[in-house]
Order: sequence, then structure tokens, then C-alpha cells
Amino acid sequence: MASFVTACRLSARLTSRQLRQDAAARGFRTSAACLAAQNFTMPALSPTMTEGNIANWKLKEGDSFSAGDVLLEIETDKASMDVEAQDDGILAKITVGDGAKGIKVGARIGVLAEAGDDISSLEIPAEESSPAPKEEASKPKPEKASESKSEAVPKTSSADLSPAKSSKPAEKQTRPLLPSVSHLIHEQGLEQADVDKMTPTGPNNRLLKGDVLAYLGSISSSYPTELSTKIQKLSHLDLSNIKLAPPPAAPKPAQESAPTSPPVVEELEVAVPISMSSVVEVQQRIQKTLGIFLPLSTFIARATDVANDDLPQSKTHKPSADELFNQVLGLDKVSSLGVRGTFLPQIMAFPQAAPATKPRKPAAKSVDIIDILSGTAKPSKLASKPAPGMSTSVNVFSVTVPKGDKKRAQIFLDRVKTVLEGEPGRLVL
Amino acid sequence: MFRNLIGPRAVIRPTLTLPTVVAPSAIARWSKRGYASEAEEKDLVIIGGGVAGYVAAIKAGQEGLKVACIEKRGTLGGTCLNVGCIPSKALLNNSHLYHQILHDTKNRGIDVGDVKLNLGQMMKAKDTAVSGLTKGIEFLFKKNNVEYIKGTGAFTGEHEIKVNLSEGGEQTVTAKNIIIATGSEATPFPGLEIDEKRIITSTGAIALDKVPESMVVIGGGIIGLEMGSVWSRLGAKVTVVEFLGQIGGPGMDAEISKAAQKTLKKQGIEFKLNTKVLGGDTSGEKIKLDVEAAKGGKQETLDADVVLVAIGRRPYTAGLGLENIGLETDDKGRLVIDSEYRTKIPHIRVIGDCTFGPMLAHKAEEEGVAAIEYIKKGYGHVNYGAIPSVMYTHPEVAWVGQNEQEVKASGVKYKVGTFPFSANSRAKTNLDSEGLVKIIADAETDRILGVHIIGPSAGELIAEGTLAIEYGASSEDIGRTSHAHPTLSEAFKEAAMATYGKAIHF
Repeated sequence: MASFVTACRLSARLTSRQLRQDAAARGFRTSAACLAAQNFTMPALSPTMTEGNIANWKLKEGDSFSAGDVLLEIETDKASMDVEAQDDGILAKITVGDGAKGIKVGARIGVLAEAGDDISSLEIPAEESSPAPKEEASKPKPEKASESKSEAVPKTSSADLSPAKSSKPAEKQTRPLLPSVSHLIHEQGLEQADVDKMTPTGPNNRLLKGDVLAYLGSISSSYPTELSTKIQKLSHLDLSNIKLAPPPAAPKPAQESAPTSPPVVEELEVAVPISMSSVVEVQQRIQKTLGIFLPLSTFIARATDVANDDLPQSKTHKPSADELFNQVLGLDKVSSLGVRGTFLPQIMAFPQAAPATKPRKPAAKSVDIIDILSGTAKPSKLASKPAPGMSTSVNVFSVTVPKGDKKRAQIFLDRVKTVLEGEPGRLVL
Repeated sequence: MFRNLIGPRAVIRPTLTLPTVVAPSAIARWSKRGYASEAEEKDLVIIGGGVAGYVAAIKAGQEGLKVACIEKRGTLGGTCLNVGCIPSKALLNNSHLYHQILHDTKNRGIDVGDVKLNLGQMMKAKDTAVSGLTKGIEFLFKKNNVEYIKGTGAFTGEHEIKVNLSEGGEQTVTAKNIIIATGSEATPFPGLEIDEKRIITSTGAIALDKVPESMVVIGGGIIGLEMGSVWSRLGAKVTVVEFLGQIGGPGMDAEISKAAQKTLKKQGIEFKLNTKVLGGDTSGEKIKLDVEAAKGGKQETLDADVVLVAIGRRPYTAGLGLENIGLETDDKGRLVIDSEYRTKIPHIRVIGDCTFGPMLAHKAEEEGVAAIEYIKKGYGHVNYGAIPSVMYTHPEVAWVGQNEQEVKASGVKYKVGTFPFSANSRAKTNLDSEGLVKIIADAETDRILGVHIIGPSAGELIAEGTLAIEYGASSEDIGRTSHAHPTLSEAFKEAAMATYGKAIHF
């Protein structure tokens, strides 16, 4: 069943982006549009129009026209209007002439060929079925619903099966003949006229080998039709003799509903100490030489920006539709570029240096450093957790990430460190 | 490398703000929750996102219908993609590779050292294929403007479906047209309770965590033989118990079925045909299965670590609220339809496994497209006489059209042409030349009635036979068509030649 992959492989990917809209809007067709000649049907000039009269054709059969030319004038009960050509072409045939009245919308009134076609050799396409069933199908059919199934089924199947072909023999073959057919025709020295006299029994009135044999008299002339009827029967679901289930004795138990709550994502903090000393140095140098004071935040913002570039994909990332499709096709491996992260580090001064700039949040309890070192004091949080705020020397940069993303956060912080400690000057110059 | 990135790029974005602490807002999560809400009427709602449902949904989107698809599994693709065709094919392919490396490399001139099975990794490879494909469908939904509603749908009216959303809450959907495509489930075996660990269906058979020592497969149809093959190749001792006199199900040509049985037996699978299972006892360490010859006779007990129940599938319509709108099923649980897939409520149609016809993904797909064409254009086309069947064992078995038993029963005079792969050059060079192509054609008109293949890549070769039957071709039409050399498809051409005349190479 994986056939949808084949169906939408590269072609879909490459063309869809640009063509999707146009294709959807204009309705790409591959088969009908390829025909040189196309039926020209009575257009609906207003949403309510169901039929119209042809006042007169502005062109004769064989005339060529270009887009925008008036082809004919149509009268409705309300008004008369000109019908313009949508494209260049040739009016190959007029099937409903001037003055015709009450022509249903969708009925063929002429045949158009493409510009440059040779009209004399053109095949006139058969009239397409009127679009009536479309409207019918979209409407509910209460009368059909009231019919009992057992009646409805044989009716449809018998209608489908009775081969209308047998009654209207000898349809001109427009498709290329099957290899076996053309071989027999040449072998037996048959003419085109003979071929036209044969009764086609294949799907869609295709002329089969058996039909030629029947025409030649080597097999019974009715046999191909009989066989076709048998095969035709197999092409439908057998909906006869349906045994209905007895009505359920008791109402079925309600199906279990299992809306489970999404699993809680564990989070964890990744921290890296980063010295700001070289940043401060650059800051002072800039102030001295250029007279501009750049706040530390500018350096950090830019370092963050740079470090966020080209990070590996987050483990918790839910891929977008396009990415998913690339994955399906295996294209993610080909061009696995990193993605931009959105990390914003929390910055806290390293405890020893904290008071220098930020006395905003003094330690609640005064803790003696000696106590900590000697281990007599309770291992206060302060010892492991830096104070908030920023110092000009060593700061702890930390980010909180879902559990799977530790490595990604580490890469990000290492980059921030490299940039800030290594060459902070390049961030601003 | 990283340093190179810094210079010019850093200067380009000077507008970034100071890093601040951003607490993840709970508001974002709130807004995602669904509550009971009344949306505007859709053109079409499809219940079921399996092969029938998703194909219909995409087709409807392409036809410009306003369409929504309701699926409760959490991933699209239904049984086929999640627990059926696709994962089983991943296991079949990889277990075949393993088996081949173990047994069939020496005479090819490849000396292999220590070969070990890593079942966990094999399962992971399978899961990767599955998740990639199911997500691909989600993409196609977005691309074709199909609304994807995750939840369980039930009819509350002829135009109204209440959806119990998977992430909590309820939603009511109304639509002009409704398609039911709820699929099927494995038929349980009376008296054996499925736990998917020891008593398993196909779902459990693609997810065993270790290779069982012994496995009994109840039902020698396609699913049973495929999953039996997988575990047999990986080292389990597999016994297939089949009630009928042939394997592969009633659709398989008897001659082909016998050939398949012979080959699979050579691979180590044991068969007990014309045998029925009376019951089982799961209390002990090994499962004890009582079996008896179908026409009465001697009884025996089979021991197994794992029992795979593969006796067929049945339509799944539970919880759909059919009784609320009075829709009928037949005695086998299939929803009753007419030739245009309409139920007795004409704007509600049914396609796929939950209605009539063979339970095949590609049949469901065809119906999905046809049902939309009926809604949109008033006419759709599915030729039930040209739907291929494939069994992905090794060698593969594939067929389309009628088999010899059926043709014989229909009273049509026929002729048969066969060609063995052992006379095919490509099969010979591949050292994989077991099997044959068999073509059945009408004796008078030479029109092809059925094509049956057992052999390498039979599943791919059958496409030509399907096309031939769809177009009403005679065997001569195929015999007069050029087939590339050296390919397996030449066997197809030669079988056709043998049907109306004589094969060249045999």
C-alpha cells in the first residue's frame, strides 16, 4: 500500500511548491486536455442559467480565433451575451447552429481545435455525457432511499451488465489496435472497412483478438459477447443475496475512551561558567579608542545570536509537514543542515564575584566562607548555586531544556563561551 | 569551523534584545484544548484515516471539497501502515536478508563471518519505516487541505457526528456527505484469548520481543504464511494449521498453492492441512493446542510458545453509533451498500474493509477514489475483476483474475500457458529461479482470464497481468510486446507465448 510514496515522490516535491496553487486553481488535467479537439459546450453565463439560445455564431467552421475573440452570441431569458474565446484555437465544427433554442448548459454546441491543427484530419470527439448526474449525485435521493435494498441491487447490476455493445455493433476504433488485432488484420489481408464492421467487445468498446476471430468466422460470432458479459459480471461487487444481521439484542457497550494525559517532559538545567574578563577588556578598548560605551548585554545578545545558529535539531522538536515529507523521501539525510535555536541563557554571577555589581539580593543568611570550606555549615544552596545578577568576571550561563536536549544546550553554551572568552571583539566590530 | 561563522553574520543581526528569562507560558497550552464546539457544515466527513479513508480524504481535497477525516489511532494509515502491510514487509525483507546471509552466501562467493540477529534493531528499522510513512500522510493532508480530527467518531444524526477527541473534549461535525471507512480487525479464535504476547494476531506478530522457540499458526492464508515465514527465518519452529485443503486461501490457484507449500516446507515450515483446531490450554509454560483432522479422525496436541491466530479479519464498526441512524450490516458485519457505495441513507457511503469485497489495501484505495468521484462527478470506476493479490513470502506469490478452479467451474473452455523461472536468464543469474508464471486464457478468443505467478518479484510482475486484464488483452497481445532482456518479466512474456503458441526458451 505504500503506493502514495511512489505517487508523490520527487515530482510532487519539486513541482508542488510552485505549481500547487495554479494546479489546484486551474485543475490540471492530463488526459482530456491532450486531445487535439475538444468539445465546446453551452457555457453557463450566470449561476442560475440552465439553458440558453444561440443567437448567432460569429465565426464559420474552420475559422481560427485568438483569446478574447467573440465566438458566438447567446440569449438567455434575461439578456443576450457574447461568449469570448479563452485561448487561441480553431472552430473545427459547429454542431448546434444559429437560432437553436433551449440548449442545456453543458450540452455540446461545437468542437474547438488547437491553433495550427489540421481540421481535415481531426477526430471529432464523442459528445461527453451531460453533467446532469453531478447535480443529481450531490443531492440526496430520498426516493432511492425508500426503495428496499433487495430491489435496488439487481436493478443497478442488470443495467450495468446488459451489454449495450451487442446491440450497437461496429464502432469505429479510434485507439491504436492491440498487437494481436493488427497482426491478424495484416495476416488475413483485411481492409480498414472490415475493421469498422467488427463488433468490439472489450472494455470501452476496444476491439479484441476474439472480435477479429469472430468476424473471420473462426469462432462463433456471439461468443466474444458472451465471454465479455461473464467477465463484466466479475468486475462488480456481488451484492446479491445479502443476509442482513439480526438487530442487536442489547445496545453495545460504549467503547472505551482512552484520552491519556501527555507525558510530562522532564526538564533539566545545563550550566557553564564563562569569564567576562575579555569582554570587559574589549569594552574598555572600544570606549577608549572610539568613545562608545557598549553595554555587556550587547555582547551577550550577539553571542547568543551567533551560538543559536546552526544547532542540531531538538529531540523534542515536532517536525513540520515539509520536514516530515523530506524525511519520508530520505532527503533530510542529504542536506541535514542545523536549525536555529531559541536559547536565551540565564546569567548569574559566580558567587565569589557577585557582590561587585549586584548587591540586589544579599544572601538571606550570612554564611561564612570558612564554614563552607570546613564543612561545618549546612551545605547551603549558595555554595552550588550562583547568585543572580551579572559580574564582570566569571558568570554562570545556564539554560533549562527538556531531558533529551542536554547535548544541544551544551553545544550552545560552549559556543557562547568560545565567543565571549575568545574573540568578543568580532561580535561588535 | 565555528569561528568562521562568527564574523560577518554576527553583525547582521544587531537588533537582538537582551537575553531574558522567559517562562513557558501555560496560556499556549490552554488555547490548544478542544471543547465541544459547533463548526460550519462540511462537504464531506470521513470516519477512519486508514487506506480507504485517507485516500478518499486526499482525493476529496484535490477535488475542492471541504473535507475532514476522523481517526482515533493517533497516526494515519490504519491497519495497513501501522500494524499490517508495511511493518510486516519491513520484517519480511530484513528476515529474508538475514536468512539469506545465513544460508545462501557461500555458493555466491561471499564468505560471511559471524552472523547475529539483533531483533531490537530489526524492529526499530520497521518502526522507522512506519512512522515515516504515517507522517507522510499527515503532510499530504496539509497539502490537500484536509482537516485531521484526532478522536473517535459516532453518529448522532444522519448528518452529524460527535467526535470524542483524543486530547480531551468533544466536537460535533456536520457534513453534507459522510464516508464510513472504519476498516477491520483480526477475527478472534473462539476459546483462545488474544493477549498479543503468547496468543497473538498479526499485530502481535510484528512486535514480538524475542524469537519464540516454537510457533503454531492457525490459518494458512496470506497473513499466516507471511508472519510464519518471518519467525521461521529468524529461528522459530513454525507449524501452520489450516482447515482447508490448500494454503494461501481460496483465491490462490491450486497448482501455485501446491508449489508454494513445497517451497515453504523446504524452508522449514511444517503444514497440517485439512486440520481443525479444537481448543487450547494456555495455563502451562507451553500453550497446548488440540487439533484434529477436519473430516474427523485422529486427534493430537501441539505445543507452542506462541500461537498466531490468522483466520481472517472482520469488519470493525463498534462504537460508530450505527443504531442511532438505523444502518444495517449483513450477517458477517459488513455494512450494506449499493453499487455506488451508498447505504440506505444515500449521502452516507461505505468503503474499504468494513463493507463488501476483498479486504485489500489497494481495493480500499480504489474505492476511496471512486466514492469521491461518485460524490463529485456522478461516476466512479473500480474493476473488481482486476484486483491483484500478493503474498510476500519467498518466493512471492501473486495473482489477478480467475484461478484455474474458478474458470473450470464457470464452464468456459480455456488454455493454460506456463513458463518456469528456471528457464529465465535473469532468475538464473540471480540464483533465485524457483517458481513459474501461469497464464489462463479463453480457448476461443485468447482473452486472458487469470494470471498466476510464484517466483522472485511476483508482486511486481503481476502489475502487467492486471493491466492486461483491465484492457481485455489476449495472451498474444503480451507475447507480441517487447520485454527487456535479461529481466524476470521475460518469463511473463514467454508464458503468454506458451498460451497461444510456444515459448521460445522452454
